[in-house]
Amino acid sequence: MYNPTQTENRLKILLYAILILYSIVTFIPFAWALSASFKPLDEIVRGGLNFIPQHFTWDNYQKIFTTSPLFGRWLLNSAFVAVCVMGLNLIFNSMAGYALARIKFPGNALLFSLVLAVLMIPGQVTLIPSFLILKKLGWLNTYQGLIVPTGINATFIFMMRQFFLSFPQELEEAAALDGLGRWETFWKIVMPLAKPALAAQAIFVFMSAWNSFLMPLMILSEPEMFTLPLGLNTFKGQYISYWNYIMAASMVFTLPALGVYAFFNRYFISGVTFTGTKG
Amino acid sequence: MLVKIKKSTKLQETLSGYLFVAPAVLILATFTFAPILYSIFLSFHKVRILGEIQYRFVEFKNFARIWSDERFWIALKNTAEYVLLVVPIQTALALVLAALLNAKIKGRKLFRVLLFLPTVTSSAVLVLIFIWIYNSNGLLNNFLAFLHLPTYNWLGDPNVALKSIAIMNIWSTAPFFMVIYLAALQDIPESLYEAARLDGASAIDQFFTITLPLLRPVTLFAVVVGIIGTFQLFDQSYIFSGGSGGPNNSTLTLVLLIYQYAFKNLEMGYASALALILALVILISTLIQRRFFQTEKL
Amino acid sequence: MKGISLIRAIFVLLLVFLTACGSTDSATVVKLSGWQSSPAEKQLLEGVLRDFEATHPSIKVKFEVITDQYMDAIKTRLIGDAAPDLFYLDALEAPLLMRSAVLEPLDPYIRPEDEVADFEPAFLKAFQNGGKTYGLPKDFSTLALFYNRDLFAQAAISDPPKTWEQFIADAQKLTRDPNNDGRPEQYGFGLIPELARNSFLLKALGRDLTNRQGYAIFAHRRSLKGLQSLVDLYRGTPNGKHSITRAAAVPSDVGASSGSEMLGQGKTAMVIEGSWAIPYFKETFPKLQFATAEIPTPGRKPGTMAYTVAYVMNKQSKHKQAAWEVLAYLTGKEGMEAWAKGGLVLPARRSVLTRLGYDTNPLYAPFVAGAKYATIWQGGETLSIINTHFNNQFLSALLGEQSLQQAMQKAQDSANREIKTSNY
Repeated sequence: MYNPTQTENRLKILLYAILILYSIVTFIPFAWALSASFKPLDEIVRGGLNFIPQHFTWDNYQKIFTTSPLFGRWLLNSAFVAVCVMGLNLIFNSMAGYALARIKFPGNALLFSLVLAVLMIPGQVTLIPSFLILKKLGWLNTYQGLIVPTGINATFIFMMRQFFLSFPQELEEAAALDGLGRWETFWKIVMPLAKPALAAQAIFVFMSAWNSFLMPLMILSEPEMFTLPLGLNTFKGQYISYWNYIMAASMVFTLPALGVYAFFNRYFISGVTFTGTKG
Repeated sequence: MLVKIKKSTKLQETLSGYLFVAPAVLILATFTFAPILYSIFLSFHKVRILGEIQYRFVEFKNFARIWSDERFWIALKNTAEYVLLVVPIQTALALVLAALLNAKIKGRKLFRVLLFLPTVTSSAVLVLIFIWIYNSNGLLNNFLAFLHLPTYNWLGDPNVALKSIAIMNIWSTAPFFMVIYLAALQDIPESLYEAARLDGASAIDQFFTITLPLLRPVTLFAVVVGIIGTFQLFDQSYIFSGGSGGPNNSTLTLVLLIYQYAFKNLEMGYASALALILALVILISTLIQRRFFQTEKL
Repeated sequence: MKGISLIRAIFVLLLVFLTACGSTDSATVVKLSGWQSSPAEKQLLEGVLRDFEATHPSIKVKFEVITDQYMDAIKTRLIGDAAPDLFYLDALEAPLLMRSAVLEPLDPYIRPEDEVADFEPAFLKAFQNGGKTYGLPKDFSTLALFYNRDLFAQAAISDPPKTWEQFIADAQKLTRDPNNDGRPEQYGFGLIPELARNSFLLKALGRDLTNRQGYAIFAHRRSLKGLQSLVDLYRGTPNGKHSITRAAAVPSDVGASSGSEMLGQGKTAMVIEGSWAIPYFKETFPKLQFATAEIPTPGRKPGTMAYTVAYVMNKQSKHKQAAWEVLAYLTGKEGMEAWAKGGLVLPARRSVLTRLGYDTNPLYAPFVAGAKYATIWQGGETLSIINTHFNNQFLSALLGEQSLQQAMQKAQDSANREIKTSNY
């Protein structure tokens, strides 16, 4: 006897079971770090994986904000840089991705191969030459030195291209018949439709700018210019890890990224699809 | 008359194409192409880079040295194994999770945040936690012992160490591709599913006949970026082995090798040659996977 | 043209930001980069720098802390002519930088009142090359045996081991496995399987790590005896003539991230660590009853490791005289005393060591005594290659994949092959 509702219910239970189990797996390390940020150091390093702090304390948070008078400044620097990088990437990567997917121009295929080639060279060998270029431009210890080189990301040019490839072409054709040029079509028709892809891109560009460590480490030597990951580095020791400060600082560090994610998440709402494509 | 119009639109098309890619090309040329060209230049030289810079042209000696460098072959083997293990699993996992989260279920907003947590948790924290989970008396072994399954020295045993890193990596990067799949799923018109349902297709049928084919460009992206990312594995093997790639070269990866030469020994010429070979290896693997998946165009 | 105007707005914003940060001070600014062993150490140094600025109003010191990948950042900045005026330099990295001529020789600046002879000679020597002095040591640490006094009392051991045989015997007595699952809950000894921590064992028993040409020569039967006993202690040798039970663990075995953490958590009864662990234990494990002793004598001669760090000056510095004054103050008697009195570091000047009473303090005396016979963690430019290969293979011997002799031979051969092929 085949009973569609029964199978559907079973499927739903299975689905919930998988999601809940996997959520536990992803949640535990985060929850543990959160709880550790409220523990004194000796409780963390004593070992054991208790989630409820025995000696609950705000000290770690207090200490990271008070021992470093610059902590607020680092937070601001990081936010400023990450937002600028995100803005530049959203515009430029999407433009380039769109052109690579849709516009026929000489050199299109070559440029796309170059974009892929960029991804294949590990950053460890281009680090020193990039540093020398920034030095030549006089951009060491500046915001533009942090922002401009990361204003483009080959990965997301690639991603946007793939998204635009799977886009329905009818709307653009209609727009062309209405006499809209490429530029207007892109801004008025294509970009609004690409919201989910832009949201995904925004999340990841923000996060990579927010987490970036090695390049800022090389080019920033003024503590006032530090971004948060460099600032956090000053809570570590050479031989000994002060996990209590590291955990508290990494919570302060994680929450904005999580906030950005939660904000852009609204663009992934299934079922609300653009109308023009039906049929 | 008609020809003329066509010609002018073609020119316009070309111009707008260049306009659209101009900012990207400008920035890439300055900060990425130029350093890569410099690396290519370095790969044919023996370089003294600290103090007064000295270049000595050595033809293909850096590349010849790679051929006889046993650690390069070990690193290549380790890295290839790692790629083969991680890429299929993480792509499939990301796709399944995205499909589940795209279903109309209660609390999906909460699930989306929970599943994303590994991506935002800082790597210092992750490594600490995984050292605890993985140690001989740790969480994982206790759990396995409880189930009467064999236990392992997850980080110490050369036969397991790289797999331990792989598990951790799948766990922490699957959410990245999950989000991209989630975004791509929004672009699939609901009407297609409605039509399929009318034909009596089950949810699983719909997934394989509608969702999967339409996600093809994004899957290609996930696989290619996955291959590139895993071939460039560095952080975890650096942290877990203290930079040595041990025990007995079992966690030595190509990028770790490149890093050792570039920064520890300051052998920039040889490091650049290694990097170019790595790029070549990645290129070949993406071409192979293209054959494998029969994707019509890249 | 939305895109363009956004970019313009960003650049205007940048400009505002940048002009807001510009300083208008007339004092010479000397930039100093270094790492820290703890946040407290940074505060201590900043205090000393404030003292300096009070007496030298025309000089301002900007201190930057880099903890992760310190040398990568310094090397990159040296290559790009953007390095700080003064920076910390570990003895390990000194040979490469001295030979590359990126450091300013300090000899022209050194005056008699700087009393260079007061520095422990071995430490000063680590920063000299070709008759020139490139750095003045700031502090040092040697390794000593830390032990848990409560666990010693439980095992009825009254004194720390003096000889290597006693050490091996005590480690076994101190290993306990109450639940008999074959995985001890408490190990006698916590082992750090790195060359940086163990190369004194080679030296105390046989020969050097490398020959004059920089090739590795350590894989010699006699010099491996010390390491062999560590491997035996880690693996246990139930069938041998002198059977040894498993009595050692490495940090990752017990879920710790360092040797001091293993001792602090009570997972091991003994570890060999540096003096940096003393303030750590006091702060983090206030209940831990620990004591220190010199490392048990591995052969006929005593042995330990020494790590030392100096202040060095960038050859490209634009304010060399001012930078020298900062350097001289920090390594001078007054500055060093202020720096070292907190108990976080051991001063590199012998007079300061005595004045602060470190040589008579029971916790610190073993470290001070060790300075006289220690092997300094430094080698030629090939050391980083040898280090990588050693660590890689020693671990494999420890896991029983191959005998120590085989593993070390392999490490030596592959290191030497690499040294050889890099010469073209």
